[in-house]
Formats: sequence, C-alpha cells, structure tokens
Amino acid sequence: MATDQGTTPETADDPLPLGLTVAAAGVAAAVLLPLVWLFRTALGVGTTEAVALLARPTTLEVFVNSALLVAGVTGASILLGVPLAYLTVRTDLPFARFWTVVVSLPLVIPSYIGAFAFVSAFGPRGAFQRLLAPLGVESLPEIYGFHGAVLVLTLYTYPYVYITTRAALKSLDTTLIDAARTLRHDRREAFRHVTLPHIRPAVAAGALLVALYTLSDFGTPAIMQFDAFTRVIYVEFNAFGRDTATLLSLQLVGLTVFILALESKVSGDERTAAGGRSSDVVPLGRWKLPALCLCAGVAGLALVVPLGILLTWLGDTSGIGQGLAFRAEYALNSVGVSAAAALVATLAGLPVAYLAAKRDSIVGTLAERATYVGYAVPGVVLGLALVFLGTTVATPIYQTTFLLVFAYVVRFLPQAVGSLRASFLRVDPALPEAARTLGRTPVGAFRSVTLPLVAPGLLGGAALVFLTTMKELPATLLLRPSGFKTLVVHIWTAYASGYFGQAAVPALILLGVSGLSMLVILSQEGYDVR
Amino acid sequence: MSDDSDAASSRRRFLAAASTVGVASVAGCNGLLGGNTTSGEGTGTESGSNEGGTASSSDGGGTVGQIGSGRSPFGDRQLSGGVSMSEMPDLSGELTLYSGRGEALVGELISFIEDLYPDFTVRPRYNSAADLVNQIQTEGQNSPADAFFSVNAGALGALKDAGRTVELPQEVLDMVRAEFHDPDGQWVGTSGRARTVPYNTDTFSESDIPDDIFAFPDTEAFEGSIGWAPTYSSFQAFITAMRVLNGEEETRAWLEGMQELGVQEFSDEFLVSQAVADGEIDAGFANHYYIQRVLAGRPNAPIATAFTEGDAGAIFNVAGALVLDTAEDRTLASNFVRHLLSAEAQDYFARTTFEYPLVPGVDPIGELPSIDELNPPQGLDLTQLSDLEGTVRLLRDTGVL
Repeated sequence: MATDQGTTPETADDPLPLGLTVAAAGVAAAVLLPLVWLFRTALGVGTTEAVALLARPTTLEVFVNSALLVAGVTGASILLGVPLAYLTVRTDLPFARFWTVVVSLPLVIPSYIGAFAFVSAFGPRGAFQRLLAPLGVESLPEIYGFHGAVLVLTLYTYPYVYITTRAALKSLDTTLIDAARTLRHDRREAFRHVTLPHIRPAVAAGALLVALYTLSDFGTPAIMQFDAFTRVIYVEFNAFGRDTATLLSLQLVGLTVFILALESKVSGDERTAAGGRSSDVVPLGRWKLPALCLCAGVAGLALVVPLGILLTWLGDTSGIGQGLAFRAEYALNSVGVSAAAALVATLAGLPVAYLAAKRDSIVGTLAERATYVGYAVPGVVLGLALVFLGTTVATPIYQTTFLLVFAYVVRFLPQAVGSLRASFLRVDPALPEAARTLGRTPVGAFRSVTLPLVAPGLLGGAALVFLTTMKELPATLLLRPSGFKTLVVHIWTAYASGYFGQAAVPALILLGVSGLSMLVILSQEGYDVR
Repeated sequence: MSDDSDAASSRRRFLAAASTVGVASVAGCNGLLGGNTTSGEGTGTESGSNEGGTASSSDGGGTVGQIGSGRSPFGDRQLSGGVSMSEMPDLSGELTLYSGRGEALVGELISFIEDLYPDFTVRPRYNSAADLVNQIQTEGQNSPADAFFSVNAGALGALKDAGRTVELPQEVLDMVRAEFHDPDGQWVGTSGRARTVPYNTDTFSESDIPDDIFAFPDTEAFEGSIGWAPTYSSFQAFITAMRVLNGEEETRAWLEGMQELGVQEFSDEFLVSQAVADGEIDAGFANHYYIQRVLAGRPNAPIATAFTEGDAGAIFNVAGALVLDTAEDRTLASNFVRHLLSAEAQDYFARTTFEYPLVPGVDPIGELPSIDELNPPQGLDLTQLSDLEGTVRLLRDTGVL
C-alpha cells in the first residue's frame, strides 16, 4: 500500500491493529468456513475417480468455456462501463443525472430474469419476432449460446464497473488534467497519462466483481444453453451426483483464486486522492448524439426488454395458481433479511477493509482476498455447505434467518469490503493524525474523523449488499426457514410451476425496492464533489 | 389394452373432448374449499377403522367425507372411487414435509389436509426434488425432515439407495397397483405422469407421429424442428428407461441420431411444449401435463398429445412420497402419505396438476386417455430409474450435455 509513509511511530504502536487484525482474520475464517465441507465431500470421491473426472475431455472443455465466458463478459463490461462512466461524469452529456440512474439500474434485475426475458423476446418465434413478422422478418439471429450468454451477463453486470469507475472519476483531481494539458498533451494523452492510472484500480475492482459473478452464475448459462462450469455442476447435483458436483466446485474455487491473483497484479499501486476538484467538463461536440444513443441503447436493451416481458406476464391469466396470491409479507421478509445482511456485511467488512487499505499487512491483504472466494462459489454449493455446517455444528440456527443472513454475508461481503476499502484509501491520513495530536484516542480519532469521511462509502457498500441479497435465489431456497418466503422465492415458485402471471407482481416489486437502494448508492458516492 | 386400433380410436375420442374442463374446475375450487375448512373438523374425527372401504354416504354439502354419491372438494365433479380421508386415521402432531413438488401445485392440497385436523401442523419446505435430496443427504441424521414428496421416482429411489427411507405400511402400499410402488415398500407413487410427444396440429396430424420411439431419428419431417430438455429430470428418466429396456448402445445411437436430426434444446419441458404451441418447433418430448397446462392457458393453441407404443418414449413415471429414517413420528408420517392416496387427493391431482390418479376409480381430466388405455413398456421397474448417473455420463459422451 502506498499510504504507509503517512504513519507516524505513534500510530504504529496503537493497540488498534492487533484487535483489528484478529477481527479481520476472524471474518476471513468465518467466510472460508463453508469450504471445509467442499473439501470434505470432494475427498469422498476417491483419487482415481477424481483424477479421471478432472482429466475428462468434457471437463476441460467446460473449463475453457467458463474461462472464455468470464473473459468475454469482463471485457465487454469494461468496454461498456468505463465509457458510460466517463460520459456521465466528465462530459456535458445532456441529462447526465438521468442517465446516471438509468444506466445503473440494470443491476437491480436478476440476471436469470434478464436471461429469460431475452429468450422470450429474441428467441425464435419470440415476442420480438412476432412483432416484426408483419414486416416479413422470418427469423432473428440466434440468441442462444456463447454470444447470448455474454450479452445477457454483460448487460446485467457492467454496472459494477460503471459504479466503481464513476466513483473514481468523481474523485479525480482535474487540475492534474489541466496540468497535463498545459504540457501540450491532447485530451487522449491526458486521459492515458492521468485519468487512466487514477481509475485503473476502480475498474479492476468492478471487473473483479463481474468476473466472479459470471463464474458463479448458473441461471444465465443454463437458460442461454451455454455449457459453463456451473451448468455442469447443476446437472451433477440434479442427477444426485453430489460428490462429483463438489469436486467440480473445487475446480471453480481454483479458478477463482487465479482470477483474484490476476486482479491483484492488474490493479497495482493505489493512490490516495484527497478529494477531486472537478470543474472542467469535456464538451462532447458532434459526439453528443452517438453518446446519447449509447446510453439509450444500453438502457433500452437491459431495462425495456425484461420490463416488457414482465408486463406481458401481468396479463397472463393462464395459471390460476391456487395459494400463489402475492402477500406483502414476502416483500417485508426480503427487505428484512437484505437489510440485516447489509448491516452485518458492513460491520464485518470494516476491519477487513481498513486493514487492507491502511496497513501494509499480509493479514489484511489475505483477508480481503479471502472474502471474494464465497462470492464466486455458486449459491447452491454454498447453500449445501451451510446446510452441512448448520446440521452439524450450528444446529440451533439451522433453518433460521440467522444462518440465512450468514450465507448472504459470505456471498456478498466483498461488495461491502470493496466499497469501504476505496473510501478508506481516499481518506487523507493526515486528518486522523491531526486528531491524535489533539489528544484523541485512536478509536476516538477513528470515530470522529475517519468514520464520517468513509460514511458514504459505507452506505454505498451496504446498499450494494442489500441489492444483491434481494436478488439471491439458490442459497435462499436451501437455507430459509420452512414457510419463510421472500420475493424471489415467490417468483421462483410461480415461474417453476409455469404460472408466469403470478411471478410478475413480485418481480416488479423486487425491481422497485432494489431501484430505490440503487438511488442510495448513487447519491452517496462521489461525496467529495458538490 | 389389447388392440392398437382400439387404443387409437379411444385416444381420438379423448382428444376431441373439450379442453376447457380443467380450467373451469380449477376456477371453481376456491369457494368450495372455504366451505370445507369449517366443516372438515367433524369429518376428520369419526374414522380410523374402515380401511379400503368404498363409500361413506354424504353428511352435508361439500364436505370432505363425501365420496360415492359425493362431490369433490376441489371442484365440481362426482367422486366415484377411492377411499375418503374421513376413513383414514386422524393426523395429529407436527410434520416436516420436504416437498419437491411446487407450492403452486400442491400447496392447496397440503393446507387442506392440515385444516382437516385441529391438532395437526405441516411444516412444508418447497424446493426442487433434486435440491431436497441433496439437502437431506447433506443434513444426515440431523435432518428435520419427516416425509419427502417428490415429482419423480428417481428422487425417491436416490433416497432409498442412500438408505434414508423406512418401509411404508402394507395397507398404504396396497392402495396402488404393484408397479406404482417400490418393490421393497420404501416409497409409494401418488400420481402418474406419462411421457408423450407434444406436436403442433398446424403441421402434423396424429398419424404423422411415429409410434416407435426409435423411428424418430429417421423421420425427416422432424429435421430441425423437434425439441427436448436434456437437463430436465423427466427427460433423463426417459433416457434411463431406454438404457434399461434397450441397452447402452441402442440408446447412444438414438441420441446421436436425434442430434444429427438437429434437435433443439430447452431448459425444461414446459418450455418445449410452449415452443410447440408457438410453432417454434413442430414436435418435442415432454410429460403429458405440460401440454394440458399450455392448453389451460391457451385453449386454442395448436398443440396436441401423441404417444409412442410400449417403449421408453411412453414410460409412465410417478410422483410419490416416502417416510424418512429421521422422521420423529413414523406413524404420523406414513398416515400423511396415506392421505395423499385418498379419493380427495387423487381427484385433486387429476384436476389441478392434470396428472393421472393412481388409485383405481379416480379418472384423469382433460384431453387424456385413461390410465388403462396407455401403452407403457412392459417389465420396467420404476426403481431402476434412479440410476441417473449412467444416463448423465451417456448424455455427456454423446455431447448432448
């Protein structure tokens, strides 16, 4: 970390780091705990069978498929997220505020709903083809397969890159760009030499979330009929091949560790920026119209397609679906567990993020990396791991909301940690030190100076956890208390039985509530720029 | 069923029946159910002895005890066969039911049984059958589950193979024909599902569909316009049946032939049936009730049901239930399973899930041949259908998965 030069000997002796280190290590251990089950079950497979399975040509093929999918989605998300962030922060794009909200909103749509909507809309004889049929359109380009999976996953995950990049751009000190330009750099060179290094860690952080999400998602590859790792794991679980499925999951964990290492290399040195002064706005000129088209095109594709499909479901009265009437309780349950998950993830994330950002500590770095592992494990695998833990060591909380919230924290902690860590990096170390010289205790200085400064990042991270918890399905199905229904459980119940009409209302409520938390995220970051 | 032409003609007769019957009856249940919850208490307490008896006479409008001359509590039709819940042992206590059947489909029935008895509480847990089997196995001996309700015999067989089941009482097993329960008495079928070929009636007539499953790969009319759902458990059960009946090599050849034909892939069989109704494909492989469900939503959709004869394409699989070795009260759990075989429950499956009742005397509803008119392969033990691993391996080898 590049911030240690600011640490005085006095603060180095603080008792804070030991407590913090223990706390961070504890959090990391807790989120890695479920992996114990994975190893234990996978060991039950037997070495010869395991080697044979891993060396099978099809295993290799899906490994390559998954890697291609992750690379494709991550690359496309960067190509989409970074320009959109630049446009809405740094240029004179008309209605920039409006577009900021609109291009972030795809994040509130679960990718499996997005995938289903795209298949319904653009599949052969789908809604779109039927719409165009009078114009003589006989068939649309194939939506299934690799490009379809990349398209859908990109549309619903690029906002991770967009949001992190946007925050970094907001904190960019534009006087640096002015300086670069006085050195006769043109805009492009100024971007390359000043802006790019500044936003690179943020882009990498967002891209990491995209990559790991892609790796763990199986709804989308399954619906888009693309043979990724998760789909193979899903088939094994369905054929009661639990051992094989866990063995494949371990391979997935291996891939995760590789991606984590890769990201560490890419993100490189991070610098603290003491808040940007952003007065300079880049005029778009003749690029205004193409820029508007890009924003509208992305939002249109990602939002209008699923909303349109959901609205047609509303009119679908085919299933009467007894006992499927929507109850407000489901929304309250969703909000309740999501808020709890957001709160716990934020509290658990604080020591990890602080340590990872402020101290040159191996424990901090390892703990921060460790939090990402649970995020990349498919929900059903994590769910089963916690079923095992719940029935062996934590019987009293099995099938209670406590274990459910723990599952969410394990899955989504990195979102809180990432956001907090970025905030800690932006705090000028001189400020808490000043408080210390004025006689505050380390804890007091943290509370009165650092915490208020990172509060927006804290709230942003919490909102992100809230949002993704609202959408989570597979772990929820396995771990919820019997009879406890959330919005997504209700959507799944209706959808899986073919009663689409009953899925529309909870899906629209889900999007509405998640949309509100998105507004929180957007209003909180970039606090240093008024 | 002795004669093929007889089968065909009776089938045509059924196919001609009005498709709206099911919809109308489903719509009718709400009001009647409300009436039952208030009067159910009295009927539930009177019985216990009269196993296997036929009909208890009516004791008032719309109550559950009414069988024989009585009406179904789940809609407007006469119940003529089966054993009423009122003649079954009372249920009391708490039961944790892991249900691999969707809440949308069976939730109403389960709350109906629960509401019959004042001291009886069901704690249902809904998820996919495979997820629940994995969950029960992962939970081990600490599983809170008492009974498991599954959409297919494969999931039941998997738990049996894992040694997690207990034997059901003989009088429960005896309620269905021998081929619909486990030979060792570890599980019992509660409703049936036939493998069928949904086809688009704008493209084909019933006679265009081969009645031999092995003729499909060579039927050029299907080229590029037939669909299947290879990750779907019922499809995998069908391929498992083919392996059992015809051997590995013939199954492999069939799978390869279908791929050469350009078969299209879907993620489940409801989507296959929807695609047939939309004309996206002209035919497919699906369980029979998906066609009925499409028709329930779109009575005029150009989709109908065809069957193959006596081969894997026409297997008759069952949804069923079992009692787990972790059940706190095994008697309560097996009595609950018995209630799933009551006349009322069987009638419910016929009318709400469009499945085949398994208890003799309760008829299916909709455009379906009766269970005796079906022509499933002879000598197939449904318990063998739990060997999905070999099937998945074959599907992988042939590149289907």
